[in-house]
Amino acid sequence: MSAPAPVYLDHAATTPLAPEVRAAMLPFLEREFGNPSSRHALGVAAARALEAARAEVARLCAVRPAQVTFTSGGTEANNLAVLGLARARARLGRHVLIGPSEHPCVRDAARALVEEGFELETLRLDAAGALDLADAAARLRPDTVLVAQMLVNNEFGTLYPLARLARLVRANAPQAVLHTDAVQAVGKAPVALAELGVHSLALSAHKFHGPKGAGALVLAEGLRPRPLVFGGEQEQGLRSGTENVAGLVGLGRAAELVRARAPAARAHVAALRAELRAGLGALGGAELVEPGGPGGVAEAIAAVLLPGPPAEVWQHHLEARGVFTSVGSACQARKGGVSPALLALGFDERRAKQVLRLSFARETSVDELRAGLTALATVAGELGARA
Amino acid sequence: MSPAEEVVIGRYGELWLKGKNRGDFERALQRNVRAALAGIDPEAAVEREHGLLVVHPRAGARSAAARLTEVFGFASLSVARAVPSALADLTAAAHALLAEALEGFPRERPVRFRVSTQRADKRFPMTSPEIDRYVAERIPPVLAPRLAVDLEQPELELCLHVRTGTSYVFAERLPGAGGLPVGTVGRAVVLLSGGIDSPVAAWMTMKRGCEAVLLAFHSYPWVGLGFERKVERLAAALARYQPRTRLYLAPLAEIQTAVRDQAPPPYRTVLYRRMMQRIAGRLARAERAGALVTGESLGQVASQTLENLACIEAAGELPVLRPLIGFDKSETIALARRIGTFSISIENEPDCCTVFQPERPVIRGRLDLCEQAEAALDVEGLVTRAFEARRAVDVVA
Repeated sequence: MSAPAPVYLDHAATTPLAPEVRAAMLPFLEREFGNPSSRHALGVAAARALEAARAEVARLCAVRPAQVTFTSGGTEANNLAVLGLARARARLGRHVLIGPSEHPCVRDAARALVEEGFELETLRLDAAGALDLADAAARLRPDTVLVAQMLVNNEFGTLYPLARLARLVRANAPQAVLHTDAVQAVGKAPVALAELGVHSLALSAHKFHGPKGAGALVLAEGLRPRPLVFGGEQEQGLRSGTENVAGLVGLGRAAELVRARAPAARAHVAALRAELRAGLGALGGAELVEPGGPGGVAEAIAAVLLPGPPAEVWQHHLEARGVFTSVGSACQARKGGVSPALLALGFDERRAKQVLRLSFARETSVDELRAGLTALATVAGELGARA
Repeated sequence: MSPAEEVVIGRYGELWLKGKNRGDFERALQRNVRAALAGIDPEAAVEREHGLLVVHPRAGARSAAARLTEVFGFASLSVARAVPSALADLTAAAHALLAEALEGFPRERPVRFRVSTQRADKRFPMTSPEIDRYVAERIPPVLAPRLAVDLEQPELELCLHVRTGTSYVFAERLPGAGGLPVGTVGRAVVLLSGGIDSPVAAWMTMKRGCEAVLLAFHSYPWVGLGFERKVERLAAALARYQPRTRLYLAPLAEIQTAVRDQAPPPYRTVLYRRMMQRIAGRLARAERAGALVTGESLGQVASQTLENLACIEAAGELPVLRPLIGFDKSETIALARRIGTFSISIENEPDCCTVFQPERPVIRGRLDLCEQAEAALDVEGLVTRAFEARRAVDVVA
């Protein structure tokens, strides 16, 4: 008997490259190897390709192309926003606020600002695991220069109310810029700058079927962070270094595809989530964890509270059966620790470790999800798991 | 109750003045709006409703509204909530919008506020002041203490546009781009250089409803391909302001070499420009354009004396429009920044004007001397070859 095809339910960690993206990239890994800064035909071809990719990312976020700065990915885009925007505004104030469950590339960048004399505070979640907006309003100050709040939570799919937060920022911290880490959001929620009311938005290609090593920081008109990388003044001086042309062309194509496919993809993953919810009910003792309530969630990311042993044990048992999932986020997996959202919901450390993350994408089939559910049931039997 | 649909309403600018052409203007604007939204929201519905253009976005009303501030023909735009024209619906929508808008104001002091009703449907059973009062008097008690009525200088104006069937409630107005819908005033060929001025001239041409066909000259291989790319990017920035944009790139090197070899050096620049004028005239004929447009202003550089402008213009037949003629450089730069071309224009990239530049160009050129110099040239052949060798680029914004 041949082993069944692996079932990949970890799209929040990364996604496979779309064939269309690969095809768009290939020429730039082969004959179109020019340096975009070169002033001959090869260089000009590379530069044109970069501009076309920039225009696609601009359309995705409904901004002008000049507002898009390419980076090496989400981490660099978030670093550039947090460090660069805070530094550029330091003369206006030195108070920085970040969301309660920011990715380490936002959180640790903000902590680094403390050494530069900035004061850092963290926003809170309410008892339902939703962003506490009353608390946010109270913490915003005239000397707040940067607020960073992610758009979609990478562990639970929680959608945060950026547009409302933006109004509070405008009212109570007129000097502040609002940055959002939208790395998990592209394809799962609208990422147009104007709809969110944000000044700055980070995204990463590999989370939406693009290549790794390519991302962007999208900035409101006229906003200029201090650069982190110095050199040949590429990207209008905001990000020096010869551009990753193939990767960025891939980002552009992925942005184009996700824009066209997002509505259908969202409907599809919503159906998958409904199926998962029903399947978990049948399993007994397992349930979806939805901080902030089921209305405000990106359906592609499902956190499942499992009975019995820690989720990590489930993860490895599932993996042995060809089903790939994760415990917490891939980035947090290396660091350990308990998610603030789970603490807010009143989970103790033991229960917090019983949460397994399944994440879908447009290409996840109903059959794959069912295979995953079957594997969960089998593993439950093996582990003798009882709530 | 489901939340009211968010739409974008656009108010016409000077279209009102154009009595019998109004239908054409409205249709042109509708077409241009569809084209402008194609990139970010291709499924948006765009409708004309008695003096308003109403966009039903699929991908977000704020993005659509921001994009439409770049489309000529609107006096102003608002993101509005569309509700049935009934008092209860209007009041509920107005109060919901008020609650949201108040989040954007500090809590420490009362917000200066008023309700402004505009009643287009005169059959509606209440007058505008009566509706104002009705809505204001029923503001929920949690919101009311935060407001101080100020009819003269409100910070927050809650607007109710009462119409037949569907009414609109909004609290903000974005300034429109003004001008006239592109395409309603014909077409012109704009001579685009890599500099700061000509893209602004192109924008001003479009602003007055005239479609801009862009023409640039390159001197490859005396200058590099970087120049062509720069012009393409300028064209892409300009393409945001009209529904479709075509850029032509014509080679000037043969002409420049011939002029260098045959004509007195001080006259080179004027002679290049006379040649450009002729090529532009050919293109205008092919594109059925009624005028040429340049970024020239008076007295900024040596070639822009009245005498030289006259020498240059005499080479062509079509009217030459110079929208920047009265601008100081600082005014042009301010506009270039606003329309998004400045940062591209200042990139250091040699253009065709730098090729074989004379050390001392003529300041007060004489037409008879231009013609005398050209007698030694195969003007017809040079112009024809340059025109035929043009490359067309369909520019995507």
